[in-house]
Amino acid sequence: MAGNRTRMIGVRFAAASCAALMLAQSALAQGLQKAPAGAPLQRNLPPVLMGPRQPPAPTLAEPRPPPVEKVEADVSTRSVEVTTGFTGHEILVFGAIDHSQQPDDATDNYYDVVVVVEGTPYPVVVRRKSDVAGVWINTSSVLFASVPSFYAIASTRPIDQIAGPGVLEVNSIGFAHIKMTPSPGIRWKLSEYELAGFKAAVIRLKQKEHLYIVESKDGVTFTGRSLFRSTISLPGNVPVGPLVARTYLFRNGEVLSAHIARVKLERKGIERVLHDFAFRDPFAYGVIAVMLAVIAGLAGSMMFRRETA
Amino acid sequence: MNIYLPIAEMSVNVAVFLGMGCAVGFLSGMFGVGGGFLLTPLLIFMGVPSAVAVGTGSMQILASSVAGGIAQYRRKNVDIKMGLVLVGGGVVGAVIGVALVRILRQIGQFDLFVSLSYVLFLGAVGGLMLIESIGTIRRARPGQPLPARKTGQHSWVHGLPFKMRFNRSKLYISAVPAALIGAFVGFMAALMGVGGGFVMVPAMIYLLRVPTSIVIGTSLFQIVFVMAATTLLQAMQNKTVDVVLALLLIVGGVVGAQLGVIAGARLKGEQLRFLLAALVLLVCLRIGWELIARPEEIYSIGPLLGVS
Repeated sequence: MAGNRTRMIGVRFAAASCAALMLAQSALAQGLQKAPAGAPLQRNLPPVLMGPRQPPAPTLAEPRPPPVEKVEADVSTRSVEVTTGFTGHEILVFGAIDHSQQPDDATDNYYDVVVVVEGTPYPVVVRRKSDVAGVWINTSSVLFASVPSFYAIASTRPIDQIAGPGVLEVNSIGFAHIKMTPSPGIRWKLSEYELAGFKAAVIRLKQKEHLYIVESKDGVTFTGRSLFRSTISLPGNVPVGPLVARTYLFRNGEVLSAHIARVKLERKGIERVLHDFAFRDPFAYGVIAVMLAVIAGLAGSMMFRRETA
Repeated sequence: MNIYLPIAEMSVNVAVFLGMGCAVGFLSGMFGVGGGFLLTPLLIFMGVPSAVAVGTGSMQILASSVAGGIAQYRRKNVDIKMGLVLVGGGVVGAVIGVALVRILRQIGQFDLFVSLSYVLFLGAVGGLMLIESIGTIRRARPGQPLPARKTGQHSWVHGLPFKMRFNRSKLYISAVPAALIGAFVGFMAALMGVGGGFVMVPAMIYLLRVPTSIVIGTSLFQIVFVMAATTLLQAMQNKTVDVVLALLLIVGGVVGAQLGVIAGARLKGEQLRFLLAALVLLVCLRIGWELIARPEEIYSIGPLLGVS
């Protein structure tokens, strides 16, 4: 399982769909031999799941394999504009399952859908304080070369009921499985336990800033047999940059299919003009900032001279 | 009503930030301090990234000092000659301060050093001012006039070379201590993201014996020039000056500063000093408490910027 951790997302998707195909060809040997990439073990499947799995069982003997389920998804807004009035934005991730075998009245988690919306990764420094002679001082730090700036997750059920940790880890689903690689240049060698503390701190602090979000319990809801929808709220302080929305279709703790959609999150109008100006011509921006401040100060005092003199 | 800030990259409530600017501006006008030692921690508390808080704070202090300085200038409370000596020292101090900031960031102890400096300076300055002002208020209470300043009084300050005549302050003293005070304040401005008025005002009163009324206008004069340089440096080096945020704070601050000058004119020098001392000590205790109290969260995260 640890070996899978290093796989790239793209590769994982290929592996997942490949696995699904192979499964179909092997005439639904689903529940038992389905351990592609060795990740999820049968013992991770909650026994409850075996209940709804009964209906397909009789078809096991039939020669013709049923068509493979495939998830297709999209987002309501491909491009979110950050303007002066931006206070956050809600995006709708919706989709359908092709060849859904879900019973009409399906409410008992025949399929599970998980939607993950992730921001651009960036390097983060985590520092830890300790008590040095009565004063709390930063004594150790870890540089994570790449941490998602934003991470929102919505699912039909709590994710630990959907799949085992192996599958979640491979697909970076859930806070505990967010990819965070400590930079190789750490000066102080830390134990695995200490490193886990630093990782947990990133997640905790990001949650406090509302940048790591779990959408409420029914984050993804089904409408009928194959349609599903989910709303993800981007907060007002969401870091500007491209977002990736990943949608996973689960059946019995396995990823059947996955889909990637991209959302542009860009500054527009005056926000864009000011931001670009500040970064492209910082000297002129600085001079104008100084002039604005002086003019504002002079204007204010002149305004008040008339009133008070 | 909310507005999105282009550099801080967050959505803020306009009324709250206008009010904050107004409150800090009021104190700036009343005491002649830039208000940075209040504004910077307040902005960070409101969720503004600390680098942006420091960078933008310098722009706000600049505007509020211009407004306060003009008001003082009209009251003929600015000793321009002394102000220029302070500015000269200030520029040298700021250059040294910027160099030290880089070193402290490299070893990852910048925040600690800033907190310790705050506690040390605010504590010492606030404590001294509090004791002195209470003493003066007590002596003045029975109704006798305060003893007039003895012009013939001499201290070590008067033994230094490069004597200059500061007409407005009615002083004939060496330029060396004034330049040193200016340099020290410029050093602190770069290091702590403050104007430095809370150190400059008492230093001028107690070391140089500049009259209290002149001190406020003259210190604002110095802050204007040092903050203009700091704003430019922050915009160029760190790109942390948020013009939109600064304008919000400035609009509130300019109004507050005028009210502060009017309020300050109604109070006696020792009363002003007592109030400023109390305020400075409060901020000192708050920052000191954070250093020694067991923090709720011992971890902190930040971007890579400023580490290597």
